[in-house]
Amino acid sequence: MMPARRKGLGSMVLIAPAAVLLGVFLVLPYLNIVVMSFRMPGQGTPYGQGFTIGNYTKFFADSFYLLQVANTLWIGLLTTAICLAVGFPVAWQLARGAMRFRALAYGLVLSPLLVGIVIRSYGWTILLGNAGLINRSLTGMGLLDRPLPLMYNALGIVIALVHVFLPFMILPIMAAIQGVDPSLESAARSLGASRFTAFRRIVLPLCLPGIQAGCILVFVLSLSAYVTPSLIGGLRVKTMAVTVVDALIDTFQWPWGSALALMLSVTGALCVVIFARLTRMKWKAMEP
Amino acid sequence: MKRPVLTLYCLLVYAFLLAPILVVVGASFNAGNFLTFPPQGLSLRWYVTFFHNDVFMRAIRTSLWVAAVATVISGTIGTMAALYYVQHAGRWKEAVRIAMLAPLLLPEVLTAIALLFFVYAIGIGTTTMIGMIAGHVLITLPFVFINVSASLESFDPSWDMAARSLGAGRLARFRRIMLPLIKPGVIGGALFAFIISFDTFTISFMLKGIGTSTLPIQLFDYLRTNFTPEAAAVSTVSILLTLVGVIVSEKVLGLRIHRF
Repeated sequence: MMPARRKGLGSMVLIAPAAVLLGVFLVLPYLNIVVMSFRMPGQGTPYGQGFTIGNYTKFFADSFYLLQVANTLWIGLLTTAICLAVGFPVAWQLARGAMRFRALAYGLVLSPLLVGIVIRSYGWTILLGNAGLINRSLTGMGLLDRPLPLMYNALGIVIALVHVFLPFMILPIMAAIQGVDPSLESAARSLGASRFTAFRRIVLPLCLPGIQAGCILVFVLSLSAYVTPSLIGGLRVKTMAVTVVDALIDTFQWPWGSALALMLSVTGALCVVIFARLTRMKWKAMEP
Repeated sequence: MKRPVLTLYCLLVYAFLLAPILVVVGASFNAGNFLTFPPQGLSLRWYVTFFHNDVFMRAIRTSLWVAAVATVISGTIGTMAALYYVQHAGRWKEAVRIAMLAPLLLPEVLTAIALLFFVYAIGIGTTTMIGMIAGHVLITLPFVFINVSASLESFDPSWDMAARSLGAGRLARFRRIMLPLIKPGVIGGALFAFIISFDTFTISFMLKGIGTSTLPIQLFDYLRTNFTPEAAAVSTVSILLTLVGVIVSEKVLGLRIHRF
């Protein structure tokens, strides 16, 4: 009995620092922010005495914020869908293609991750602005009279977000495709399935977990993105994350900001749960 | 090339991925006062301006310092947790994994705001760097954990047993057997942690104190009001620093990053 207990205690030392760190700097702050969201607004102070549900009723009563949440979700969905459409063929090529430059291609997919998000968004402002590279080139060639509105709108935000989060879509899908034995496909083909049928009935169901992981990751990340919508959307288009952060930085309304941040996160989590349910159902239906 | 359409499509996507980065690097050599196309000649003047700009130089030093401290802490804590996860967690394995990945799964904006309120609630505020470093450790921890536990999964316990039967003590077994085997995972995880910390924005933005802006924050502030190519020079230097870090780790330390 003694050695077993000593071993148990010894191994607890390994996990203790992580447990303390996560407990103190993650769990407690999250509990604190939930409590904060029920506090009274303060006069001249970040928050007042006593508790209220007023922050939440204010959120639901004001269509401005509901509309903004809808707008943010829409941008997130669009970003996710485009990432999937753009990323899947690349993931396929990386996993299956007989390429001489696979390492280089893999490095190219990873490369945006090595460059900070501020720099990448800045790059897009140079490309998309009214006097930016794309518009200057098009007007210079005489293809346009007026610059295309590529920045300060949802389109610009989505373009830049797709760029920022594409690697997070490609990597899990690539891993999933690599896990599918190519001989399964050959077997289906030899039994008379067309290339498309073999893909739809065999490969797609097997790599759905990777697709699901990629979609959830990109969706969650794009909902809470701050830098890209802030630099590209400017003052004209604000996503929820931008509103929340600006509300806290500029006006110091902590309870209100907490309620907004929590509502955004809860809505995002709900979407993920619904998505996971739907894809699981689809997944079950695809199983023979 | 068997499928020319697919290959062409992928090349276009790679071009899309590289475009904004190349544009920034290109813009940094612009000789003009503003970012104009075509550039008004080539020049290194914006690099000179940048190197004489105390605000940016201080921000670079802060970034490197915070990233180094956060990497050491999260490297140690994450490696220990990965050891526990692979070898001792037993039926708690899944719970440990979810807890360790939690900072990655939770929205960073929410974590940053929650941490900001928390450091004020416990009275330390943002006058010290504790809050910012805690935040950086939190968001880099999952990357260390993923890399180290991936390299540990391939570890065969019988090697440890063999060393034990030959009389090796606990410390000797760890140093001579475990450490060489998990080294690539630890280095990969630490490198990832350093880069994530060096580049992260939201956590630093919420938790920065007076005079403790990191490079991404300083750049963001600058971009809101200025349009000179100096920002491009700053960005290019930042990209170069990361690139040098990756290449040095690969050549000197034999890096192998596990994908996640």
